[in-house]
Amino acid sequence: MSVPVRTLVAWCPDWPIVALGLPFDEAVAVVESNTVIAASPGARRLGVARGLRRRVAQARCAELVVGERDEAREARTFEPVLAALDDITPRVEVTRPGTCAFAMRGPARYFGGDRAVAELVHERMADALAGRTDLRVGIADGPFAAALAARSAAPTRIVEAGGSPSFLAPMPISVLERPELTDVLVRLGLHRLGSFAALPATDVLARFGSDGRGAHRLAAGLDERPPDARLPPSDWSVSTEIDPPADRIDRVAFCARSLADELHRRLDREGISCTRIAIEAETEHGEVLLRLWRHEGALSAGAIADRVRWQLDGWLNGSAATRPSGGIVRIALLPDEVVPAKGRQLGFWGGESEVDERAARVVARLQGQLGADAVRVPEHRGGRHPDEQLVLVPAATVELRGRTVMADGDADGDGVQTPPWPGRLPPPSPSRVPSDPWPAELRDESGSMVTVTGRGMVSSPPARLVIESGDWGVVAWAGPWPVDERWWDTGDHRRRARFQILTDDGRARLLSLERGRWWVTALWD
Amino acid sequence: MAVAEHAELVDDPRARLRLVADRVAPLALARERTLAVLSPLVPLFPEGGLRRGSVVAVDGDGATALALAVAAGPSAAGSWTAVVGDPDIGLAAAAETGVALERLMVIDPSPPGSTSKSAASVVAALVGAVDVVLVGSSVRLRPADVRRLSARQRERGSVLIRIGSVDGPGVDVGMRIVESEWAGLGAGHGVLRARRVRVTAQGRGASARPRAAAFLLPGPQGAPVALAR
Repeated sequence: MSVPVRTLVAWCPDWPIVALGLPFDEAVAVVESNTVIAASPGARRLGVARGLRRRVAQARCAELVVGERDEAREARTFEPVLAALDDITPRVEVTRPGTCAFAMRGPARYFGGDRAVAELVHERMADALAGRTDLRVGIADGPFAAALAARSAAPTRIVEAGGSPSFLAPMPISVLERPELTDVLVRLGLHRLGSFAALPATDVLARFGSDGRGAHRLAAGLDERPPDARLPPSDWSVSTEIDPPADRIDRVAFCARSLADELHRRLDREGISCTRIAIEAETEHGEVLLRLWRHEGALSAGAIADRVRWQLDGWLNGSAATRPSGGIVRIALLPDEVVPAKGRQLGFWGGESEVDERAARVVARLQGQLGADAVRVPEHRGGRHPDEQLVLVPAATVELRGRTVMADGDADGDGVQTPPWPGRLPPPSPSRVPSDPWPAELRDESGSMVTVTGRGMVSSPPARLVIESGDWGVVAWAGPWPVDERWWDTGDHRRRARFQILTDDGRARLLSLERGRWWVTALWD
Repeated sequence: MAVAEHAELVDDPRARLRLVADRVAPLALARERTLAVLSPLVPLFPEGGLRRGSVVAVDGDGATALALAVAAGPSAAGSWTAVVGDPDIGLAAAAETGVALERLMVIDPSPPGSTSKSAASVVAALVGAVDVVLVGSSVRLRPADVRRLSARQRERGSVLIRIGSVDGPGVDVGMRIVESEWAGLGAGHGVLRARRVRVTAQGRGASARPRAAAFLLPGPQGAPVALAR
């Protein structure tokens, strides 16, 4: 059996935190879809770990600084770090922002061995990182073993040639990152990669299918798929000329989107999908920029377009040292490594999965047209105010197919209810929640402003509501319902008193009094 | 599965029978196929449901709640809903009315720095991909856009719900709330519980004869509730 390509993996831990520029030594976490995806060492000490829900994390650590994940920014800030490796080898591939890899054969011979290259990588990247995070380097046979070597490195771990199987054998089975498979394996009593690798390949294939066989090959220190000697023919690549030269990311991103769609269509026709893609850009001064991106699964059209956008963003808005000297005149996408497409099975009757599929396609299309933030979907956050219970997040950050969104009081599949929010107003909720509340005045019979005392008493019953668009008599009202939120945080502390006001035009509004001023915060239209 | 479910969601036996008939009919034209609506709203539609390819306009006070109520039926039965140009829509109210949040997208047709030509092209992209497109009053559609959209709609079977402009061109059914009365709020006590509304619907074709229905919108839990006659 063939030995996988000897690979070096350089890994910068906690890159999402570094990219957002959040203070690294404090308790910081980065969340995506309300789930923690990275936590700083300070936060980890306090029990904040990956996979926790945002609220649980904040409950464990009240002073936790939380940032939203921004993959484009992660990629942009990683580009200068990658550029530091360019004179070691031109074929550095990015697995995801924060992790990159390259094949060792050429560099090891040129620089005189694995250790010399590892030292060189440390030296080059340390300058670019400027102490923002540490760097781990792992060298082993095959990218999977090398990535694990990097994770256990302090700061360099070199697994000698041919030593990958014995290096992997004592690793826990969960490193395969296939929760469904490893769950079964653990229940079968297979806790280590070594014991899984010892199973006969044919039995694994019969019981767990091709995906299980891929995992089995990884566990045995082989490549996930048998290496395919075919080089993708050059006519599978797609390119587009940009005239006049573009130096702004929005113009280039627009071309990138249609290019990604075209590439995906072309590969689809051939029945293959792409696991590694080269993104190439040429500037008006003839500079050629090239970067490889890898994805564990196959790259979808949306994923390709995202990566192209991130990469171009990294080039165009990167540091002065790496920025191209002119506008971009040509972009090309070259599939660098391809596998037969497995495809995705639609529902038997074409039912909901087809409906979701169509919706996901139009979302991708509109994102290309309008930008990633223009298409948003609701997500549950929880809160006392109508604008806090559910918020809109960019559709690019969530998986649209088969998702569930809970509203307050809903129970999820396991019967776990969303946490209660004491002080939230009962349904029906207002049908219109302006993002910027309208200033208002609430006056009593004598025409003076209605106020609320520190003990929550109304100074006098409200009689007239005055807002920019008119003024009306108050027919019915209720309140105040005071809320005193985030009193532990001087910056975010808010005290509000809420009122429901029904006026003589038949409209009901939600008003709130904050720091002596009245606001219309929602409307039952 | 979407089709199998939505027959059970409709309370009215006649409407349910009609949905079954839809499925077993040898040939169904786009205008004969309907999307389910919530049972309190059934009397407003001559076909007993939203005719595919039609344009519904809602206007006046309470237009947002009414638009959500119209969209809730198809959404609960498995359709996607897209909201264009109305980012202030109350998401909690939408969920309470019966709109499935996991199949809802909110689109800003003219984000800052965009190169897009017009909101009409965004709506055109959505027609055919999602069953219900809710267009906010900030979106201006020119008569030429409307003609192009309705041709596309007839072909793809999507329903357009427009807030504002009942008399605009291309509107098949115009709905408005003619009477409304809130319950539950007193002078300094109580809480908003429900709004009793009377809705009229009139349009062209089968909807030429005016229709009316009275129900609670929103009901005590947010969803529309039919009133006992």
